[in-house]
Amino acid sequence: MEQILRIFYKNGSFFTFVGLQLLCLYLIVNFNSPQSAIAVETASIVTGSVKSGAGTVEGYLNLKEENEIQRREIADLRSRLPESGYSIAVETDSVQDPAYAQRFIHLTANVVNRSAYSPYNTLVIDRGKSQGVAAGQGVVGSEGLIGIVDKPTENFSRVISILHRSTRISAGLRNNAYGTLQWEGQDPRIMVLTDIADFLTIEKGDTVFTTGFSNVFPTGQVIGTVESSEVQAGTGSQNLIVKLINDPLHTSSALVVRDLFKEELAKLKPLR
Amino acid sequence: MGGVDAASNIIRFIVLLFLQVFVFRQVSLGWGGAEYVFVFLSPLFIALLPLRTPKPLVVIIAFFFGLGVDFFYESLGVHAAAATFCGYIRQYVLSVLEPRDGYKVKASPDGKDLSPSWWLSYLAYLVAGYTIFYFSMEAFSPVFWKQIILKSLLTIPVSILLCGVLVSFLRPRI
Repeated sequence: MEQILRIFYKNGSFFTFVGLQLLCLYLIVNFNSPQSAIAVETASIVTGSVKSGAGTVEGYLNLKEENEIQRREIADLRSRLPESGYSIAVETDSVQDPAYAQRFIHLTANVVNRSAYSPYNTLVIDRGKSQGVAAGQGVVGSEGLIGIVDKPTENFSRVISILHRSTRISAGLRNNAYGTLQWEGQDPRIMVLTDIADFLTIEKGDTVFTTGFSNVFPTGQVIGTVESSEVQAGTGSQNLIVKLINDPLHTSSALVVRDLFKEELAKLKPLR
Repeated sequence: MGGVDAASNIIRFIVLLFLQVFVFRQVSLGWGGAEYVFVFLSPLFIALLPLRTPKPLVVIIAFFFGLGVDFFYESLGVHAAAATFCGYIRQYVLSVLEPRDGYKVKASPDGKDLSPSWWLSYLAYLVAGYTIFYFSMEAFSPVFWKQIILKSLLTIPVSILLCGVLVSFLRPRI
């Protein structure tokens, strides 16, 4: 304590000087407009730099939180992109004609996913149970066939492509001969129509239609043309190589076919 | 008027303040719309304070003289700051200029026993300190350093000259 007092006593003029200078600065800043303007400006620069420095530090401290907010924002914005939208507009096509009762209803759909090319091709369309899609419904393109619905979910459906080894489609010719159309898993441009009686004469270029027997595809939908025929020795039947009219692997728009009479026809199973 | 007693100092206070604010305030030379040459007598008053005045008291008296000048210059605080600074550095100027055998006890730096050259350098230190500090406070920002230096360089010789003349004028009558 004594030492502190001694310091004050020894440097009395210094402390007086400092005190009076502070008083003078106060007077200068408060009673002189140019100096006061400079003081205000300087103070704002100093406080501004301090604040911006503090803000930088604070920004780093909040980086994790900010990052989380940004990620949430990105997620929100991505969900608003057109690509992430799902069109709920149901466009069905039917004809009101008193002469004809409606049998097939077509529902527009887009292919949203495909399996990699293999002998077992499947694809996914953007229509599902909520639009009335059910397993066993056919999917056709603007021409030709695409596949058969296998597993519908709420908004999407898995479709077994006609280019799948387990596909069996009832197909026929103009002369009412009919057989089973299947794919051998090699050339995506051709399918094989089996179980055609070998005594029938088939010309190259004959058109192959759907028969509608299986209630999957509408009757008379063109599938392709006959490329060649191979008589299967000993079976009494011949296989027709059918050149597909369309390219099921690369079609993006499709129509889901719904047979309104399917339930009724299912009651009339073959009797054995 | 040149004595060491309180009355003489009070008279000096009044006379020099009067001269400063009513005579030398009118003296200011300059060009280009700015004034560069001023005359300051405040350092003279501080210089003429008795040698043995307590150092804090020198600072306080100098402050009040500056404040008095400020009231007439309408720049409250600027002269006071410069005068306070001048009063503070006086002790160091005195110790720097101390004669080999020291100052005489009870002596006043009034020129009786000190040579004119001592007086000139003594005043030069105080005037320089006062002037530079005054212009710094007036500009109030280091960005105006060119003007501060120019004004100081022009003002210091004139002020030293005036203060020196006043000292030599007052000295025989002490």
